[in-house]
Amino acid sequence: MYEFDWSSIPGALPFLWEGMKVSLEITLSAVIFGIVWGTALAMMRLSPVKPLSWFAAGYVNLFRAIPLVMVLLWFFLIVPQVLRGAFNLDPNTDVRLTSAMIGFALFESAYYSEIIRAGIQSVPKGQVSAASALGMSYAQAMRLVVLPQAFRNMVPLLLTQAIVLFQDTSLVYVSALADFFGAAYKVGDRDGRLVELLLFAGLVYFLICFAASQLVRRYQKKLNAHVAH
Amino acid sequence: MISIDTVSKHYGSFQVLTDCTTQVKKGEVIVVCGPSGSGKSTLIKCVNGLEPFQSGTITVNGVSVGDPKTNLSKLRSHVGMVFQHFELFPHMSITDNLTIAQEKVLGRNKDEARDKGLKLLDRVGLKAHAAKFPGQLSGGQQQRVAIARALAMDPICMLFDEPTSALDPEMINEVLDVMVELAQEGMTMMCVTHEMGFARKVANRVIFMDKGQIVEDDSKDAFFGAPRSERARQFLAKILQH
Ligand SMILES: Nc1ncnc2c1ncn2[C@@H]1O[C@H](COP(=O)(O)OP(=O)(O)OP(=O)(O)O)[C@@H](O)[C@H]1O
Ligand SMILES: [Mg+2]
Repeated sequence: MYEFDWSSIPGALPFLWEGMKVSLEITLSAVIFGIVWGTALAMMRLSPVKPLSWFAAGYVNLFRAIPLVMVLLWFFLIVPQVLRGAFNLDPNTDVRLTSAMIGFALFESAYYSEIIRAGIQSVPKGQVSAASALGMSYAQAMRLVVLPQAFRNMVPLLLTQAIVLFQDTSLVYVSALADFFGAAYKVGDRDGRLVELLLFAGLVYFLICFAASQLVRRYQKKLNAHVAH
Repeated sequence: MISIDTVSKHYGSFQVLTDCTTQVKKGEVIVVCGPSGSGKSTLIKCVNGLEPFQSGTITVNGVSVGDPKTNLSKLRSHVGMVFQHFELFPHMSITDNLTIAQEKVLGRNKDEARDKGLKLLDRVGLKAHAAKFPGQLSGGQQQRVAIARALAMDPICMLFDEPTSALDPEMINEVLDVMVELAQEGMTMMCVTHEMGFARKVANRVIFMDKGQIVEDDSKDAFFGAPRSERARQFLAKILQH
């Protein structure tokens, strides 16, 4: 019978917290960049200017057809070279975090853009007509009328995607970057307590994601109640 | 004021409008009616360029709508339009609905836009609702706000696309009353509607459309007295049964 020994966890907490910060940093930067670039992609996709629409469609389909772990690996292999070349960096500068952030951001933008596109399309066409009839330009109609309504409807989906993204950050282990999962793995490996550490890490992921989804659900209820009346 | 000259429009091979020609003079009220799918909405949306058309010309106050050099936003900012489903902006308060285009399109300052908006809200009898959101108002109230929103832009003419057809019967009159008042004040109006009581009361002319064509374009008395086409006669008989 396997004897659990949790004693290596308390001492490792500061190190694990450092890892958690890396995970959160990657999540946050990818969410922000993903929403901004995703919005741009969604608007290109819906634009009557064909080349823009093709570019956005190509981008989204490409990233959605490749496993995230491969994207990360490529970015791990390529981006450091590029960054070093471009900024004349010391070969010892650690750019793994930056390249992971860029990889996630570009990848997640593809998913965010699909959510945002659906959100924009969920706003009735008559709203654009009404805005145009009042003399608003297309950009004004988008910014003042369509996007605010689209985002209000999309918040639950955007947050749910952020939760998935937070879980996916564990894939940066391919670049040996010490995110939360990587940190837990390292500690477990060092102390020969892999099972305990991975169980602990799993519990932490579960608690965070479960709490976050409950919050999303509560927000969604409020939103539905608001729309109903 | 509005001049429509041999306008045609098609979606692919489907002809929506065929050689439509008519005029609306300053201060005139024109009612457009006809069966579903006859192209009434399309025609009225061509007037402010919401729908493009392939041939013919439309001029509003001397400005050609179809001309690619025309600044359509500017033209639309002084052509009021009221829609079947109101299309108030649901994420904004009634006050913001009334002021946003005044500020962002006409460049009026906040106070000026607010004063104007509230004055018009009072005029349609909804002053007490300024702070509410569209979802908190009844359909009839929303449509009155939509009319006030259009009027706040100081339009030179107003276009209505079935403004009462999405309303419960008991709310139709409150909207029609506002429209009648507007007509009596001399506003130039082009109204797609099947409210024949409204047409009898204030219309100068009635246009009857069928299959994308203007079949009748007559003074109100001639139209109601003796419609020339069989289609219009049938249409009137059917409408009057309701
Ligand atoms: N985007 C489109 N593509 C193809 N056909 C269209 C499009 N929009 C409208 N139509 C067609 O054009 C015709 C005229 O439509 P329109 O909405 O102008 O009719 P209407 O007279 O306003 O009818 P209703 O009384 O139902 O509002 C209809 O047959 C409709 O199916
Ligand atoms: Mg219509």
